[in-house]
Amino acid sequence: MNAPVLSVNNISKSFGGIKAVRDVSFNVHKGEVLGLIGPNGSGKSTLFNCVLGQLTPDAGTVHVHNKSVSGMRPSDLNKMGVGRTFQQLSVFPQMTVLDNVILAGQEHHGTMLSRLLGPSDVGLTGEARQMIDFFRLSHLVDEMAGSLSYGQQKLLDAAMAFMAGPTLVLLDEPAGGVNLTMLEHLKERLIAYNQTHDTTFVVIEHNMEFVMSLCTRIIVLAEGAIIAEGSPEEIRSNQDVIDAYLGGN
Amino acid sequence: MTELLQILISGLSAGAIYALAAVGFTLLWQASQTINFAQGEFVMIPAFIALALITKLGFPVWLAFIAAILLSIVFLGAVFKRLVVEPMISHGTLPLVIATIALGLLLKEAVKEFYSPLGQPFPGLFSHDTISVFGAAVSFADIANFVVAMGVIAGLQWFLNKTRTGRCMQATAQNPDVAQILGVDIKRMVLYTFLINGALAAIASILITPVYLAKFSNGEVLGLVAFIAAIVGGFNQIKGALVGGLLIGVIDNLSAVYISAEYRQAVPMILLILIIMVRPQGIMGESEGRAV
Amino acid sequence: MKHFAKFFPLIALAALVFAPLGQGNYIIYVLCSWLLFSVAAMGLNLTLGYAGQVSLAQASFMGIGAYITALFQLAGYHWIVGAPIAILSTFMIGLLLGYPALRVQHHFLAFVTLAFNTLVFLVLRNEEWLTGGSFGLVGMERPSFFGVSTMKQLPFYYFSLVVFVIAAAKFAWIINSPWGRAFKALRENPIRAQSLGVDTKRITLLAFAIGSAYGGAAGALMSPLVQFIEPGSFGLIHSLKLLLMVVVGGAGYFYGPMLGAAVVILLPEFLRFTEGYYLMIYAALVIVLMVYSPSGLIGLGSKIAARFRPQKQTRKDMNQGAQL
Repeated sequence: MNAPVLSVNNISKSFGGIKAVRDVSFNVHKGEVLGLIGPNGSGKSTLFNCVLGQLTPDAGTVHVHNKSVSGMRPSDLNKMGVGRTFQQLSVFPQMTVLDNVILAGQEHHGTMLSRLLGPSDVGLTGEARQMIDFFRLSHLVDEMAGSLSYGQQKLLDAAMAFMAGPTLVLLDEPAGGVNLTMLEHLKERLIAYNQTHDTTFVVIEHNMEFVMSLCTRIIVLAEGAIIAEGSPEEIRSNQDVIDAYLGGN
Repeated sequence: MTELLQILISGLSAGAIYALAAVGFTLLWQASQTINFAQGEFVMIPAFIALALITKLGFPVWLAFIAAILLSIVFLGAVFKRLVVEPMISHGTLPLVIATIALGLLLKEAVKEFYSPLGQPFPGLFSHDTISVFGAAVSFADIANFVVAMGVIAGLQWFLNKTRTGRCMQATAQNPDVAQILGVDIKRMVLYTFLINGALAAIASILITPVYLAKFSNGEVLGLVAFIAAIVGGFNQIKGALVGGLLIGVIDNLSAVYISAEYRQAVPMILLILIIMVRPQGIMGESEGRAV
Repeated sequence: MKHFAKFFPLIALAALVFAPLGQGNYIIYVLCSWLLFSVAAMGLNLTLGYAGQVSLAQASFMGIGAYITALFQLAGYHWIVGAPIAILSTFMIGLLLGYPALRVQHHFLAFVTLAFNTLVFLVLRNEEWLTGGSFGLVGMERPSFFGVSTMKQLPFYYFSLVVFVIAAAKFAWIINSPWGRAFKALRENPIRAQSLGVDTKRITLLAFAIGSAYGGAAGALMSPLVQFIEPGSFGLIHSLKLLLMVVVGGAGYFYGPMLGAAVVILLPEFLRFTEGYYLMIYAALVIVLMVYSPSGLIGLGSKIAARFRPQKQTRKDMNQGAQL
């Protein structure tokens, strides 16, 4: 078996007296689309932030490609090939869509000095346009990102996350607030990207439909611990999961 | 040895007053993310308010002091919050930082223009008689200043920890969202913080100005000392501001004697640069996680 | 409007070339002063307006630049030897100073530069053997280039103009490069920028170092202009003035510092009667601007101009009908 792309080992995190995440461990392998779901307060976001280095866990380690990423700065994590999308406010509103995407790729080309001395787009315009085309935002390429609709900004967010060719992408509630048609498009594009690039995804989501049809494997969290793990079908019929969501516990 | 004791005591005395300014500064930061670059001028102004009341309106000294404290609470506290800080909250920290820098400048130049560019003698609260402490000649004023300043800080600590309002203020500083849900009027709590800072600055002003003469430029030094004390002590802690203030007071006095007079001012600054390089969370601070 | 923006630099350059002709010596001197402070303010604009950090030490970098240049000149070297050394030195000092301060959160750089400015002042004042102490340094000659002396105001003006244009061109280069994009991202959404690989700490440090070097360059120009430098010209109040220049003009705009420097330098010339009130007026103006238009006068102008432009009612994405 190949080494996991992402390896989360015994992560625990408390805030004051509240144990947000208790001893959570899981692995994600190349090409998987893993969904992390759970009712509100289950610790998904806290876990997510621990993986991304936004929060320091009280215990446990996170390894990406067998390298420990504890305490790593977001920019270094990105350089390692980890991308992410954000729940909110994820684009640069006063820059054009094209510039947003070029920016997402430029930090991976050459050195800081070469970026100062070289051409303004660092030769990325073609690639950026391709990415924008992939997400079908071509007609908006010169528009200010801030003028895009919410759903389009989410697509742009994804384009930016993928621009540098990451091996692992963490998506933070990508479906939140997006209308149905756009949602279909987003899901379809994510699946297409995953299949053509074999990129590994980890998705936190509330929208069950979205998660079930997008993900290849699902982990369910409740009250900070994993209560179920398996394929979408298995999860759908898992009693513990149903109880957790309906407050049966 | 007695010389050392003398320096230590007068250093602690000055340090306790610096601590007042540093504590107020830290409180503002904690409660409302306000970095008040005009803090030094806030410690300079009340002395001039008192002076104006005494010389132009003939107030008796004790009344002028009380009036200065009250006026500071109103203007350096409430009005400052309402007119300067509140409108800028939505714009982020940077415009606010710049605005307080400009405010400090404005206050300084206003005093220079409208009162006087020259240093003015300022009535002291306490006599400068010396008394003997373990053989060292110590000024009564120094001891009194120390006692008053520490008393104020102790009172503040008691207020924050033992009263309901104080605890609400702490809650607001630590987690405004949760505090609000629990029914705390966070706007009012933040206002109280500003009022307290106005009072602290005014008390510091009254205590320290007799030493330096009242001059428009006092804010430069006092402000710098307050910032350094707060940072050295650990930006986020009241205890830290206290420790930082005392430390700077002692170091400053030590350097006046053992290091050249010309470079005396440099010592706290070198301390600041060292602390930021070696232990940015300050002496008493805890290592902060990344902001996000 | 776009064409105007393209031609504006050329028009402005032409205006600057013709400006001093026919004017008296004093006015030309003031114009030289404006050019010099524009260079310093430009540097501060990079630090503040583009990288979002407050530096309260720009005047001290000017001072370091001025003293280094002056010392080399007084030792017999041509200005062209001392000036680059001054610029390089201030760049290095900026790196050294900024590195620890920018590693941490909050506006620590502001405090560190505040302390640094005062430290530099103390050194300049106390180390008489090197800097002449409170008496300063005198007797720096105006340099000659290819046989043309800049002793007179007019030639010196053109010399300053050359330096200014080089500085401005370099600045434009920086902000139109990928660095400029990174700065913009940093300003708009620093968290997102970091997650995309922008090394915010490094680029901020470099912006501060470059900004400080601009201060050094301005100081190198100042030394032969005034031919007498003393510590008082580089005190904290002057750093505050430079900050005001950038903020009033418009932080983050290319022409902001030039406008701000013009306001701070030229206005006192016209409003003599408000002697002594200038700083108060500027300070009050800054506070008002920070409330209503944090992007300074240029920002204000932008907003007003936008009101007059025809409103774009439809969202662009609706242009092709409902898609997706």
